[in-house]
Amino acid sequence: MILAVADTGPIIHLDEIGVLELLSVIDEVLIPQTVYQELEAGTIPPALESIEYELVEADVTGHDVDLDPGETAALAVASERTAVLLTDDLAARDAANARDVEVHGSIGIIVLAYSRGELAKSEAAKLMRALQAETSLFITDAVVERGIALLDET
Amino acid sequence: MATDLTERVQEIAEARGIPESEILEQALERGVEDLWVDLVLSRYVNDEIDRETAIDLVGRDRVKRAERELQTVEDDVRWGLSA
Repeated sequence: MILAVADTGPIIHLDEIGVLELLSVIDEVLIPQTVYQELEAGTIPPALESIEYELVEADVTGHDVDLDPGETAALAVASERTAVLLTDDLAARDAANARDVEVHGSIGIIVLAYSRGELAKSEAAKLMRALQAETSLFITDAVVERGIALLDET
Repeated sequence: MATDLTERVQEIAEARGIPESEILEQALERGVEDLWVDLVLSRYVNDEIDRETAIDLVGRDRVKRAERELQTVEDDVRWGLSA
């Protein structure tokens, strides 16, 4: 059973490549109100309606981190509920690791969707490349290819 | 896309007050530089060149960033396969 708290990054990046519904491979998704408000500041992805999630309040007391409000809220909820933090932000990942909070991102969700039978391996590889080429996520293409090679070894 | 590029080249040229040909020359230089960096980092993450060589060619910050990204991608792939 995977309980995870989503930051804005994976929601936006998966939506940018048209596969936000893959978030539903997570058994229980929590979205902090602050993250939802950040999404509202742009446009709430319509595909978010197709996913079951719980909106939660975050108590950020004691979470003095140099992250944006959404990341801070998501980290606080993940820490409080012993959940996985879903973020694509390297600084947020560092902050999570420093607090022993398990953290993964959009690529992890795509690979999880593959391992749970929602995607063929070739589709997962294609989506990983699309994350690099077609979204606002900055990641070196050679690094994505290395991840795909790791996936191919299975 | 081609229209977008043409319009952007025109807009940049007008804003900077330099010929469109010069903008295209700069764009080509930047594009080749980006592709060169991608190639060097690709060779580094695939163990075809060592770390010091990669740093000499593209700089320490880029190499460290690629290492950090690699760590997170490998971690994500392993988690996705085993969770």
